[in-house]
Amino acid sequence: MSLETNLGDIKLKNPLILASGILGASYSSLQRMYDAGMGAVVTKSIGKNPRSGSPNPTIFALVEIKSIVSSVGLANPGYKTFKEDLVKLTEKQTPAIVSIFGETKEDIGEIIEGLNDLPLLAFELNLGYSKENPKTVQEKVGIIKQITNKPLWVKLTPDECNVIKIAEAAVNCGCNALVAINKVKAMVIDIKTKQPVLGAKKGGISGSVLKPIGVRCVYDLYEHFGDKIPIIGVGGISKGEDVIEYLLAGASAVQIGSAVGVAYPENMVRFIQMGIRKYLREQNIENLDEIIGGAFK
Amino acid sequence: MKKGIMNNTRPLICKIVDKWEECDDTFGFVLELPIKIQKAKPGQFIMLWIPGVDEYPVGIAGIKNGFIEIGVAKMGVGTSAMIDKQKGDFVGIRGFFGKPFKPPKNVNHLLIGGGFGMTPLKLLTSSLINFEEMQRVHIFEGARSKNKLMYLEWLENLENQEEIFFHVSTDDGSYGYKGFPTVDLEKFLQNNKTPSVIYAAGPERMMKVIFDLGKKYSNVIDMQMSLADRYIRCGFGLCAGCVVDPTGWRICTDGPIFNTEQLEQITDFGNFRRTETGAKEKI
Repeated sequence: MSLETNLGDIKLKNPLILASGILGASYSSLQRMYDAGMGAVVTKSIGKNPRSGSPNPTIFALVEIKSIVSSVGLANPGYKTFKEDLVKLTEKQTPAIVSIFGETKEDIGEIIEGLNDLPLLAFELNLGYSKENPKTVQEKVGIIKQITNKPLWVKLTPDECNVIKIAEAAVNCGCNALVAINKVKAMVIDIKTKQPVLGAKKGGISGSVLKPIGVRCVYDLYEHFGDKIPIIGVGGISKGEDVIEYLLAGASAVQIGSAVGVAYPENMVRFIQMGIRKYLREQNIENLDEIIGGAFK
Repeated sequence: MKKGIMNNTRPLICKIVDKWEECDDTFGFVLELPIKIQKAKPGQFIMLWIPGVDEYPVGIAGIKNGFIEIGVAKMGVGTSAMIDKQKGDFVGIRGFFGKPFKPPKNVNHLLIGGGFGMTPLKLLTSSLINFEEMQRVHIFEGARSKNKLMYLEWLENLENQEEIFFHVSTDDGSYGYKGFPTVDLEKFLQNNKTPSVIYAAGPERMMKVIFDLGKKYSNVIDMQMSLADRYIRCGFGLCAGCVVDPTGWRICTDGPIFNTEQLEQITDFGNFRRTETGAKEKI
């Protein structure tokens, strides 16, 4: 039985990828999650300049729905400073994907140029935070593909009503994988103090509540694109069965975020892998290719 | 009251039922917990939410019968906003987060703190005197001057009533020994060869000095130090805002209390911390 999976030319030892924004601010925490058994790791989203992000509270849990409400506000040290962490991470041959964001295509071009000499597995373009339309996506994907030969993944947000159109624009300009989905817009108001809890007031939600939304989005994308482009499913994965569900919907790999916010993230990764193996064993499945898109058969 | 575990939720809204000036620019607060929850252990912390202003980590000084005592020192906008709160106002708390101090039995317990670092050490003191002989508990408190010493009255009353050893020092000599608390600590370690454990909380540079000092004495069998004086965002191990290199440990979840063996591996200890942006800065 093998957990290997392919995303275009990229081969991963297993389909679990650490999602952007989770334990991704330091080379050491990214390395720790790779050592814990992730197939690859995505950094937190990096921009052109340092940003302090939103005032706290920026992240808290809604235990009753096993979900996380957050608005970190793209806090990051800027690509020039973060490069020091990336050098340390890639020295160890850790398969790393750098998540990037930028208001303009020029900003994005500068970041890609600045990091292009590193042995990264891929770049991931975070589209979740600015108003995008197919044209802006085309420009951003276009400039990245002009500068780098490295694979480019595009992370989609379900808040856009035209996800397929955005995805099409990205695919037409040469993006190498689609990542779905980003957080969904959300907020929480404390009724006693009558205040929004997040420092930024408005934010997004991730965790278990996202799973059916993410599965639907991956299913829609696979229905539209078929085998034309690999899909990476994200949203609400906390056990092996969740991974299988995303694979059946058409994902070739998955990203895991909120679930590793626990005392022992290493155990969580092992637990998810065990769940996948158990399912494969019970179903007599030798490798993951046999179930990718299986819900369409 | 409903019994539950508060750990890892949205902020739980608590009423401020007591407030006092502990020392210059530092206030003590007692908050009423709206639900009955498990006791916090010494060294754990909460994220204190001042609605509409900020949220930050705060040490727990005491917890009893549905009330929690915290200490807040004036350092910026968020802490000033708390200090401006009055009895009857509401604030939010999340927690209890992190791994606690783990005191072994039958050793000398040497608690050493500076400034707001005394907050978790107060709870540790209360806990230790419940299971250990008084004579084994030594507290070394240091501050710039007398009006910066926290829990002075509380500790002195403990000393009078029981047999706890309380060693005070001030930089300007306005109270106790003139100098750093490490001087008294070193004197103790030179004169007493029975096994000792050092517990420290406060500014990280001070703790590094204590750590280097403790390593010189073979009678120090462990050191447990709180690295909570850092930027903490989520509090439950998700964001990596508080990660230390090169181990990848999260202060909020794998710490904030680390032992000698762990501290040896954290090259960032006493040297570097990460800011809100994630960039490293010299401590």
